[in-house]
Amino acid sequence: MRYIIFIFCLFLLVKPLFSEESGKQLKNINLSYATICEDVKDNNPKNPAVIFSISGGEVFCFSNFDSVSEKTVIYHIWYRNDKMSTKIKLTLQPPAWATFSSIQLREGDKGPWRVEIIDSENNLLQVLRFSITD
Amino acid sequence: MKELLLQYLSGIRWQDLFDIIISSYMLFRFYVLFRNTIVFRILIGLVLLWFFQSIANSLGLIVTSWAVRAITAAAALIIIVVFRNEIRSVLQAKNLKAILWGFTHSIVSTPLEIIIDTVYDMAKRRCGALIVFPGKEDLKEVVQNGIQWNGVVSKEMILSIFWHDNPVHDGAIVIKGDQITEVSVILPLSHRQDLPSVYGTRHRAAVGLAEDSDALIIVVSEERGTVTIAKNAHYMEITKKERLEELLEEHIGVMSNPVEQLKKEKLKFGIAAVLCVIFVTGVWFSFTRGLSTLISMEIPVEYMNLDSGMEIWDTSANAVRLLLSGSDALIQSMRHEQIRLRLDLKKAAVGVNTFTITPEDITLPPGILLKRVTPQIVEVTLDAQVKKELPIQADFSGKLPENLILVSAKLTPEYIQVVGKHRVLENMSTIYTEKIPLDNIQSSGTIIVNPFINSTSIRIAQGGKTRIKVEYTVKER
Repeated sequence: MRYIIFIFCLFLLVKPLFSEESGKQLKNINLSYATICEDVKDNNPKNPAVIFSISGGEVFCFSNFDSVSEKTVIYHIWYRNDKMSTKIKLTLQPPAWATFSSIQLREGDKGPWRVEIIDSENNLLQVLRFSITD
Repeated sequence: MKELLLQYLSGIRWQDLFDIIISSYMLFRFYVLFRNTIVFRILIGLVLLWFFQSIANSLGLIVTSWAVRAITAAAALIIIVVFRNEIRSVLQAKNLKAILWGFTHSIVSTPLEIIIDTVYDMAKRRCGALIVFPGKEDLKEVVQNGIQWNGVVSKEMILSIFWHDNPVHDGAIVIKGDQITEVSVILPLSHRQDLPSVYGTRHRAAVGLAEDSDALIIVVSEERGTVTIAKNAHYMEITKKERLEELLEEHIGVMSNPVEQLKKEKLKFGIAAVLCVIFVTGVWFSFTRGLSTLISMEIPVEYMNLDSGMEIWDTSANAVRLLLSGSDALIQSMRHEQIRLRLDLKKAAVGVNTFTITPEDITLPPGILLKRVTPQIVEVTLDAQVKKELPIQADFSGKLPENLILVSAKLTPEYIQVVGKHRVLENMSTIYTEKIPLDNIQSSGTIIVNPFINSTSIRIAQGGKTRIKVEYTVKER
């Protein structure tokens, strides 16, 4: 009995450490890979990079989840110069799912950008940083 | 009516009573110190002028009120210049105790009998004499060349002064109280044409001084052995000792009984004290309980006791409008700098602090009442310096050659600690580098750049790295 109580207490102590982890192993989804790329073809990112020319016309944020236990949503939040530009809701289906969002590029979009990938409970899963240039 | 009076009096605070008592005492002391000088009489004249001007003003007499005001203003200046000697002698001669609470009873003990006896004795001997009994006016400006004597009056002394061979016999002596204060004094000569031809220089000098001052002068004729007195530009021969005694008593104010005189003096002080209280109370009521006036003023809000680590970020109001009431006289005399609104930020914290303005926060001149404050609530947003660790992001610019892809950029350090205002850092999640040009990049490499901080309220924390290493990787398309 004392052994069970000890395990239980240990579990209570260790549990918060896991829940505060950088965001990749949260509840029932696991973000295995995410990148910013020029295009997405056949569910694969094409030309992942950190610099994108405005002449490319579009930029994509690709995210792959290798473990999805139940249907849920995530968000891709696009920021330009620390100011939110758009928030895109994406649905994940079990058991694994890859999804992406994109933005159309205009002349005024040049500058430093970042995309925050967050889950349905606003937990930050990953931050991707890139620049839009000439 | 009774209720109205009670309501009127119930508004009086203890400070007001104190105010009346102090002012009355100051006025009373002024009377005690200057009562025997001409300054006091002039001041009473000035007060009357001021009243007259107020009445003329209230009646709408434009020119009269203007003229009286000009006279009053000029008179105030003239009094200080002309009567500086009297003012100085009163203030210099007395110590602090005498000025603040001492009483000097002016019991005159001029030995009139000795003087009168001597005067008629000299007349009999045909010994000329000129004796001055000053009135309330100062003679310093009128007479000249007096030699200080300060000897107690005696028959022998007077006789010896006017003895022919005495070097100081040619001139007048001045008697104050029981002392001969000055001898050989040169008096101003009268220019009157109607003086009897038998009158010589001595008589002309006596009349001259009588014309210019309120002094009484006794002249003993050397040629005719007569006694003449001059006062207020008049002169008369006195043949009887009793008459001369009467006139001298009247001039000097001597009473036969010193105790009675002391009683009279005390009564005078008592009446003066009561009059002072009545006068000051009247002035006080006219000032503070006069026609009630409303005035609206905008005053700045002053913030005090702000913690040194904090600063005011924003306030909902920098000034407030006060609606004040008081008597017309007080409102008119009120100055803008006498009114202050001070909010104590001692207990304020970082963020928005709400203050309700209370009468305790506002300083007003005495007698002025606060009716309303607009706005009554002031919000003060305070900020403080905080430290925050932020990620650094490379800020590329220019155009990368078409055949290349920049696949990664690793920054060292990845984070930087900055110090700045809480409210600024709250909304900041990234620090960018200065612009990194892409145009010349042909292959992977490293570049050292500085962080770019475009806000004056933020700086890199002490000991923090100011150089950022950017390792970038490029590949062919």
